[in-house]
Amino acid sequence: MTIRLLLLVLTFATATLPGCATDADTITVYSGRTENLIQPLIDRFVDETGIEVEVRYGDSADLALLIDQEGDRSPADVVISQSPGAVGFLAGNGRLARLSDDVLDQVAPEFRNTDGLWVGMSGRIRVLVYNTEMVTAAELPDSVFDLTDPAYRGEVAVAPTNGSFQDFVTAMRQIHGDDVAAEWLASMADNDAQPYANNSAIVQAVGRGEVPMGLVNHYYNLRALAEDPSLSSANHFFADGDVGSLLIATAIGVLATSDDPEAANRFAEYMLGETAQTFFTNETFEYPLAADVTPAPSVPDLADVSLTTYDFDDLGGGLERTKQLIDDSGLESP
Amino acid sequence: MKSRAHPAVVAIAGAIGLLFLFPLVYLVWSVARLGGDLGATLASAATLEPLRNSLILAVATTATSGILGVAAAGIVVRGDVPLRRLWRIALALPLVIPSFVGATAVLAAFGPGGLLPWVPRLDGFWGAWFVLTLLTYPYVYLPVAARLGTTAPGLEEASRLLGAGTRRTLRRVVWPQVRSSTVAGALLVFLYVLSDFGAVALMRYDTITRAIFSARLFDRATSVTLGLILAVLALAVAAAAQAPAAAGSEGSRERQVRYALGWWRLPGQLLLVALVGLGLVAPIAVFVAWLVRGSTTIGVGFSGLGDDVSFLVTPTINSAVAAVVTAAAATVVVLPVAYGAVRSRRLAAKLSAAAVASVFALPGLVVALAVVFWAIAAPEPLALLYQSFALLIAAYVLHFAAQSLRAAQTAIADVPIAYDEAARTLGAGAMRRFFTIEMPLIRPGLIAGAGLVLLSTLKELPATLLLAPIGFKTLATTIWSAAEDGFFAEVGLASLVLIALSAVLTWLFVVRREPV
Repeated sequence: MTIRLLLLVLTFATATLPGCATDADTITVYSGRTENLIQPLIDRFVDETGIEVEVRYGDSADLALLIDQEGDRSPADVVISQSPGAVGFLAGNGRLARLSDDVLDQVAPEFRNTDGLWVGMSGRIRVLVYNTEMVTAAELPDSVFDLTDPAYRGEVAVAPTNGSFQDFVTAMRQIHGDDVAAEWLASMADNDAQPYANNSAIVQAVGRGEVPMGLVNHYYNLRALAEDPSLSSANHFFADGDVGSLLIATAIGVLATSDDPEAANRFAEYMLGETAQTFFTNETFEYPLAADVTPAPSVPDLADVSLTTYDFDDLGGGLERTKQLIDDSGLESP
Repeated sequence: MKSRAHPAVVAIAGAIGLLFLFPLVYLVWSVARLGGDLGATLASAATLEPLRNSLILAVATTATSGILGVAAAGIVVRGDVPLRRLWRIALALPLVIPSFVGATAVLAAFGPGGLLPWVPRLDGFWGAWFVLTLLTYPYVYLPVAARLGTTAPGLEEASRLLGAGTRRTLRRVVWPQVRSSTVAGALLVFLYVLSDFGAVALMRYDTITRAIFSARLFDRATSVTLGLILAVLALAVAAAAQAPAAAGSEGSRERQVRYALGWWRLPGQLLLVALVGLGLVAPIAVFVAWLVRGSTTIGVGFSGLGDDVSFLVTPTINSAVAAVVTAAAATVVVLPVAYGAVRSRRLAAKLSAAAVASVFALPGLVVALAVVFWAIAAPEPLALLYQSFALLIAAYVLHFAAQSLRAAQTAIADVPIAYDEAARTLGAGAMRRFFTIEMPLIRPGLIAGAGLVLLSTLKELPATLLLAPIGFKTLATTIWSAAEDGFFAEVGLASLVLIALSAVLTWLFVVRREPV
């Protein structure tokens, strides 16, 4: 028994020792996007290119901290983030290299970093998820600014510590200025907005009727409905041009310390190709950002949503200030 | 106390203690590098409020977990209840449920719109307190149950013969013998609650860990300063709760006195049913409900579950191996520290024990980043260990050794010095004395401690995600990944496998080895 256990451990220890020299045809990806949402694509990339890909999955913010802590010795070549915040953090700390033009040209300028340090890979729209048994669509506002109305007192869930909410507040600062953003946050706090841990927790709470509505990314309710079609929750999109229906991009970048930038860029390019973009919209309900792929029928047409324009580049950076504003508003403490 | 630890043991204990200060040093360095302002952060209401909340929750949870853990251990080990072995294992298992999963299950179970709509909804302080009590009472239950299995029946028999009633015997004879195990377990509960993020975040209770997490990317100076405050607080609490008093009763492997519970029998059994029902059966019911609900929709949109469940095989093996190796390693590492802390009066020995215990109060992410910091800074041959299985185990041991330490300290303190002295008089060497006299007596305590480490490792997440060799999936990372994107059927299935694996391992390595 003991000997067998020891052998097992030894096998483990040797099998899992890190490769000393990095194989030229192997790249390492740190992915904030979970395995279910990307691994099938990575498998296809490996089949098609012969480049081996090793993936470390984790929370986007935690992986960004890890890369920064690893510094020059980071084994990562590529980073994938669920929101622009984490890649913005890495760009700000000089951890990302400029992507090749072949990659950058795939994506419209508004969905990539001005210095070419990262590009958007797929999009998620900010929405107001609501419980269809507690409120009707007609009672819901056209603008996210209307949520400070006393009619919605205590009825709106928010996730102030979550990356996508912080990105949304940053966009509001870009478009309307810090004062407007600060006032909106404070008014939401005064209006007894309910803080939750994250998007998923809000969709769950709305689904069971704990709170009538909440600000989240569109993805989570579609996923929840796939799991439990009897759930009485729906996504409400704000009117044309409202900052409430912001498109939040998941992002991809190549590390400045990558020892194989060529293969890393090829990987990024693949994620913007038709195969990947079709996968993102058909399989994970997201908005394609490249390769002229049309959104799947299950996601509302971008033309109907009519996104607000904003300086996408600043969305990543400047989050320190956003964090400060959210802290000061008192929205965070339940 | 005449018998003293060998100076070499104290030296080794001191060296190990220093290693456990690495996270603290990392935090000090980070605060200095990022320009954290300790004074301003400490004086800020944004720190004090969550800090106060953390302490209130930790004290409340420690009280309830302590009472429930001792009561459950007493009833199962010494009461005349049926199905003893089954209870023995089942009562330990809630410890393995990751707190974010436990909290999600409680939220999904109670309140209008939940699976049990007539039960009032719990969140905020009460929700966090409820969930954490159910998930942490095993920290008290396991060591106390182990201690109750080794006390000498002679004392209790003598007490009864001298005319003391059951109640008096329990209070005057049995309780003093389990007091140090109780204090040790209670400290673990206290430190764990300080470190928890999953349950408090989902229950919407604002603690210091929430502040550390929410600031980690865009206000790092504050985040690491708060981490440092938590580490110093933990060190102070661990030092204050040091030195379990030697109870001095003979350890024994004889058959234990069992007490007829009489008219306490029904309430006693109800307590066991309530603990196992709420802490284990209820989450299992929620997991099954998710699994059933989600499985009917497989093929709609996308599903990670796929057509077969083989995707859980590798994570299950990985989890089992990592947990068993960590439990064994932690037990070996803490032995000199525990020995030094109990048998030496040197300050270094006491501080080492406090250092080991304090790491347990840090959030897993902080411990993981500290290990990354040191591994990356290490010279060449050591740096090759980065993201290896060995380093992952080291990170687990660093985080969880507190659990085996406290159990070992209590066990060593309970070995009567007289035995050692008698053997010494007869000319037995130090090694021989240790292995033939002390080891058999402290073994149940060590095994209980190893059991705690085992269960904690099975659910560990942050260090596994950041430090495991690439592609090393565990059941905990599988559950996290599924929960992150709302694949609740998969969360349910993987959680059920995790609980089943824990039951098997707890039986195999802990319960089976106990005297009946």
